[in-house]
Amino acid sequence: MGYVAVTAGEEIIGRAEDLFEKQRLEGDSETLSVDQLDDQLSRLTAQAMSEGGLYAPRLAALAVKQAQGDTVEAAFLLRAYRSTLERWEETEPVDPDELFATRRVSPAYKDVPGGQILGPTKDYTQRLLDFDLDGEANGTESADGDDAADEPSDPTADWDLPDGEPTTVQNVMEVLRDDGLVHDPDETADGADEGADADGADDGTDDEYEEPADTTREPVTHPPDRDEVLQELARGETGAVTALGYSAMRGYGQVHPTLAEVRVGKLPVRITHPYTGDAVRVTDAEVTESEAVVPVYEKREDPQFAFGYGLSFGRNERKAIAMTILDASIQLDGADEPAENPEFVLDTVDGMDSFGFIEHLKLPHYVTFQSILDRIRAIRERGEIDGADADVDGAPEADADVDGAPEADDRPETDDPVAATGGDDD
Amino acid sequence: MDDPRNRSDRFELIAATDGDVLERFADSVLAEEPALRVLQEPRPQLVMQRVREPVERRPFNLGEVVATPAEVSLDGTRGFAMVPGKAERAAFSGAVVDAAVAADHAVTEKVVAALSRTADAYKDERRREWAESRHTTVEFETMEDDL
Repeated sequence: MGYVAVTAGEEIIGRAEDLFEKQRLEGDSETLSVDQLDDQLSRLTAQAMSEGGLYAPRLAALAVKQAQGDTVEAAFLLRAYRSTLERWEETEPVDPDELFATRRVSPAYKDVPGGQILGPTKDYTQRLLDFDLDGEANGTESADGDDAADEPSDPTADWDLPDGEPTTVQNVMEVLRDDGLVHDPDETADGADEGADADGADDGTDDEYEEPADTTREPVTHPPDRDEVLQELARGETGAVTALGYSAMRGYGQVHPTLAEVRVGKLPVRITHPYTGDAVRVTDAEVTESEAVVPVYEKREDPQFAFGYGLSFGRNERKAIAMTILDASIQLDGADEPAENPEFVLDTVDGMDSFGFIEHLKLPHYVTFQSILDRIRAIRERGEIDGADADVDGAPEADADVDGAPEADDRPETDDPVAATGGDDD
Repeated sequence: MDDPRNRSDRFELIAATDGDVLERFADSVLAEEPALRVLQEPRPQLVMQRVREPVERRPFNLGEVVATPAEVSLDGTRGFAMVPGKAERAAFSGAVVDAAVAADHAVTEKVVAALSRTADAYKDERRREWAESRHTTVEFETMEDDL
């Protein structure tokens, strides 16, 4: 096995980088500010934060700007930055009921306690191009030459808002649990649920709990515990999570859920104050949450529901819902369907792994390819010799790996994003 | 998070206060050249956000949150602050402000007033967000009888 050295030098690589930067600055428009990205393209920054596993809205906006809108690249930048930081500590576990929801819909319960709150969404309106947005800002002439549409205004300015003190809405899971329809967790499973009462119910306030795994520090072992699954799915690549979740509904799986609820809101981030010992709030993290109801197939004598759960940084309902499907699918522990195989799912959905493994194909593979060529030529030469020996068929024997595929065991083994894309020739 | 004189409440209010405001107060405190020791340099760090998922009620690690802590000693009184994001100056200023209020420094009343404004702004923002989202509450109707 050989390796390839780049002899062109740093100057040439610098020129390539300069060209990349030039692309960002091309055109006559003003340079995008990080504030603009943070304020106006929050879906992009949310995706970068979610896949980066790092909540930092302004840094995510910076990463999106630097990556020229490539969300996976932006997530990569966030993970690389993350790897330079120390850990302060873990927060006290926050309950979903503490979510300050600005949007909450329940497709399962029409009259859900707390109400169906649409919040900011265009789910129920037509998706048509809005040409008024073209040339909206700062006196720039709009596409149709009409200056009147230039200055944006707050469409909610004239709302007559209701009074009342802010509160949180009850989690639908608790509504179902109160009705005895929730499949209670297995107390004996892996020593879990140490804080549970004798009847298996947990008041959710007990400080005693099993320390959850942290997949950013310890690699996932298979079969994974559910806390590992949820953490890995939470920072999975949006498209991959969506595609695999969709596969289960498309027929390559058994989970076609009813969503108990989908919520968008803010979760408090609390640490223990070093002087007072109180749990104190540092900030609120915007999250998207999804719960799905699926039948428990193996408990026909006592029909109850099983559930899938999805939670993701930022506003990303599609990913949270797909995560819910994958969580439910993995609990089925099926052997035949991709979405039910945790090893397949978790090995596939991480954007940094796929980023590194796919992108590394652009790096020089001269030695690998030369060895493939040598093999192909040797096979062809042998075939010609066989043909010259008056072989009736004249076909070479397919006794070698002629598809030319290199062994696919060179995938990155580390969470380190730098290592994930490194390497020359395999 | 109502009482700026309470240390835990003050921590939350400092974390929610604009960094420029904190810096102005810190500058006025430090202008008197008190004995300052930096016990913890303001550097961004990670706080792992844990969530108790509602199915099995087991905690899991959702992901990390970037925050910047800082700790100082001001004329022998310690101050601690942590602000969201990468914000070294705000964190340092917040720690100075925390120590100043703890020591009942001359600037305390102004700080308390500013932090109270932060508390009011936070409540107003929550109330507005709550009211706006409730203004979009809808009732879905099922129509089996009509079909």
